[in-house]
Amino acid sequence: MEQENHKIKAVSLLRSRICDPKFIFISESPESNYSKLKFMISSSVTEACNNSILLLGPRGSGKNAVLELVIQDLLQEYPDSVSVIRLNGLLHSDDISAFKEIARQLCMEHQLLFSKAASFDDNSQFMVAILKECGLAHKTVIFVLDEFHLFAQGKQRLLYSLLDAMQSITSQAVVLGISCRLDADQLLEKRVRSRFSHRKLLFLPPSIEDSQKLLMHILTLPIDSSFPHAYAVEFNRKVQNIIEDRRFKETLNKYLNVDSSVKHLLRFLFCAVSHMDLQTGFLSRENFEIAFTSIQRQPKLECLRNCSILELQILVCMKRLEVKEQSLCNFNSVMKEYISTLTSERYARHVCLRAFEHLIHRELICFTDNRGQSLSVEFRPVKLLISSAELHQGLRANTSCPPKLLKLMDREG
Amino acid sequence: MGEDKTTQLPRRMTRSSASSSASTSNNVAAAKVTCLEPLTINDLLVGGDPISLNDIISSFPGRSSQILEVVRHLGPLNSPILPLFVYGSSSTGKTSIILQLFRHLNRPIVYSSCRTCYNQNILFESILNQLLLHRKNAANGYSNAKRCERPSDFVNFLREALTNVINNLKKSEKLISNEMTQGKIGNMIYLVFDNFQLVREWDKSSTILPLLFNLYDLLNMPEVGLIFISSTSPDTFYSNMGYVEPIPIYFPDYTEEDIRQILLRNQVNQKLYSSFLDVSLKSFCGITKQIDHLSAALKPLYEKYCEPLSDKGKGVAPNQEMKRRLLAHINPHIASSLNEIFKVSSLSSTEVEIRKEEKRKGNNRRLEQSEELGSLDFHVSTSAKYLLISAFLASRNPATLDASLFDSKGGSDNRKRKRKPSEKAQERKETLEQELLMKGPGTFPLERLLAIFQCLVSVAEEPSDEQEQNNDGLGVEGGNGGLMSDVLLQLSSLCNANFIFKGRSCPIEGSMRYRTTISEDLALKVARSLKFPLSKYLYRS
Repeated sequence: MEQENHKIKAVSLLRSRICDPKFIFISESPESNYSKLKFMISSSVTEACNNSILLLGPRGSGKNAVLELVIQDLLQEYPDSVSVIRLNGLLHSDDISAFKEIARQLCMEHQLLFSKAASFDDNSQFMVAILKECGLAHKTVIFVLDEFHLFAQGKQRLLYSLLDAMQSITSQAVVLGISCRLDADQLLEKRVRSRFSHRKLLFLPPSIEDSQKLLMHILTLPIDSSFPHAYAVEFNRKVQNIIEDRRFKETLNKYLNVDSSVKHLLRFLFCAVSHMDLQTGFLSRENFEIAFTSIQRQPKLECLRNCSILELQILVCMKRLEVKEQSLCNFNSVMKEYISTLTSERYARHVCLRAFEHLIHRELICFTDNRGQSLSVEFRPVKLLISSAELHQGLRANTSCPPKLLKLMDREG
Repeated sequence: MGEDKTTQLPRRMTRSSASSSASTSNNVAAAKVTCLEPLTINDLLVGGDPISLNDIISSFPGRSSQILEVVRHLGPLNSPILPLFVYGSSSTGKTSIILQLFRHLNRPIVYSSCRTCYNQNILFESILNQLLLHRKNAANGYSNAKRCERPSDFVNFLREALTNVINNLKKSEKLISNEMTQGKIGNMIYLVFDNFQLVREWDKSSTILPLLFNLYDLLNMPEVGLIFISSTSPDTFYSNMGYVEPIPIYFPDYTEEDIRQILLRNQVNQKLYSSFLDVSLKSFCGITKQIDHLSAALKPLYEKYCEPLSDKGKGVAPNQEMKRRLLAHINPHIASSLNEIFKVSSLSSTEVEIRKEEKRKGNNRRLEQSEELGSLDFHVSTSAKYLLISAFLASRNPATLDASLFDSKGGSDNRKRKRKPSEKAQERKETLEQELLMKGPGTFPLERLLAIFQCLVSVAEEPSDEQEQNNDGLGVEGGNGGLMSDVLLQLSSLCNANFIFKGRSCPIEGSMRYRTTISEDLALKVARSLKFPLSKYLYRS
């Protein structure tokens, strides 16, 4: 029982680390975005001035995680001089929700009573008043606008009001926009853009060396009393061997060539750790191979492998029509091709129609008109969503595909 | 497997149905309906008797690797989890396996189906009702625990409710560890979104989909796990802004051997059914591999397979001679049954039984049966039938032929058809046929429909005039124009019945355009019921 516990505990620990952004993105280098961001915001706090910064980078590159680390440190260094207001474009992109949320969080920060019945004007005036009072008290309000590009839709009243309030001499505020769009500042209107200082921090995916350091950081167990010493040492030695293995490096490079962001790497590690053998209690290279296979999915090929023979026949007929330069086809023309091409074992029309509808549900084909209600299914134009290569591959992967159909497809290709 | 699904889902999804089923069992429970006990944390569990992992694997043939994969991803107790995306075609066991696994693991879940919760507000309220242990009843006016229309309100309420539930789970875990009672339920809670592919068609899908996919990051709570179940693959959730992708877990369709194992379950005579599958399963798998379609299609065929047996397949194990006899008996029916596989019978079950009785009486019923097939399945007035035929002709025929087809004599002249078609006419014919195949029925204005209708009605009323002349003494009047009454009302009725579609108004002509979608077979049936020579008016070149 005791022996079983520390193996399960090891899996839980590694999974906890993978799911914890604070554990992943620690970097004390002066050149890191963490240090730059902390310096910028600290300067705004100590020098009592306003600032606005954009954090730009692809999804999964750690923008939010680094910012949370910086805010955490600032709250420790300046506990009475910093308050944080967090908004998200997915939730607060309309101005009413945004001002209401600002008022709610400001009330929580300053132990005030929040009124749900307050109107839009009440909330916006309240924000301006609080900013003024905070400025007089030498307190900096940090606004975090996640999904910043979503706030740039519509009339941008929130951004204008917020940045306009910061023009006042007495206010001290920092606006931090986080976005995955590199052109986030181009989305702003002129009146808003003129009030926004164009400081940007780019978050780039880590290099191969940094990724390997990150692997060691995540996957090694601490050599302390929480785990049996011999087990922890052996575990870390095995992890070291896996990371230095040539075949593992090939798999990792193949995986990161598609997407080298940190979040993408974490998904890979999560799958590998989840497949760890609880009998031996150690990670192996096979765990990472299984993780690579299970994450890298080919949905269209999976759909084709699942198709019945009749569905494959319909797809081949559509491909033949496509090769004949027919840009659009519908069920009637496919049936015409089906009748002329397949001379034996033909099914009834309504059976083919249901198989045709199954293909639409699988999204191997789709309607090209937008929600035409007056035409029945037979007459609506459709097109193939798979390429010839995918269809070839799918026919060969399907175990019940008749050889005649494969030959028919080869002739067309 | 279908039985598992039907018995499992109502108890989990709607607690009122579970309580109502309990109330039917005895009066004491019926007395309790008005004052049901308030919900507790344990109501977030799937419930039922404890089930082992081996039982689940044996209950779902062909799914052991998927079951183990889900278990590994769920991980040990109190272990955080990245969002999972479980996908596969319909009837592959996704929902059943997820629910059975949570029953086995004894962990709390909040299950929401995006089919019953068919828009954003209902989904939000369903999740919050479950988390807040709220039951809608007469006492609270069947209201929800929280009213939230905006996503921001939902996330705030959700975070608050999840925090409370997690704190209660931690407290109860301490109590349980002291008492050492049943297995631990841990302090993780899982939100399950079923039928997730339907969210793509919601009104606000462009905002609700990124919200749900990013819910893990928005909440930022390691004790919350998210599981999306979808019948379409992750690449069908198009987004031009991207989102952090959940971890995919794929449920492939069943192989033919898996289908055999599944269909063999719950069969009284395993060997007899196995020999039946030997002769039929491969052909049917060529059309579809969905378990529910196959199960429905093979059931009547199996009954026919067992007809020669005296005990209808209850207990006898078939030998080789019997297998050959049964095979010879069933072979003629397999081909026709293949083409019946997707047909949904419009007859009620009692009528099906009556029809079976008729079939047993022998060949005398064949003529009646063929006559029945030719008759209409619905009843409309004579005027509506003529209107429907007029609409069909207006859709199918080019408007340029109206002058020659609908003159006072009726029908095209036979002499015109004797001319040999030239090459250009042949090409034009093929082009027109292709165009008809692609575009379908054309549209027509109301004036054209009424003109054709008036022409057909005037032709149809000529025999009644002759009859009137023959019957000198009667002197019946009012026959003329009878079919013309309320023609616009009939047209609107046909539009409501979806026989005729009213399109958008043409900006140039400024009038409505109509289109009919009935097939040629249906039009021929309607014409035959009126004894109308439809083929004379159809343009066939």
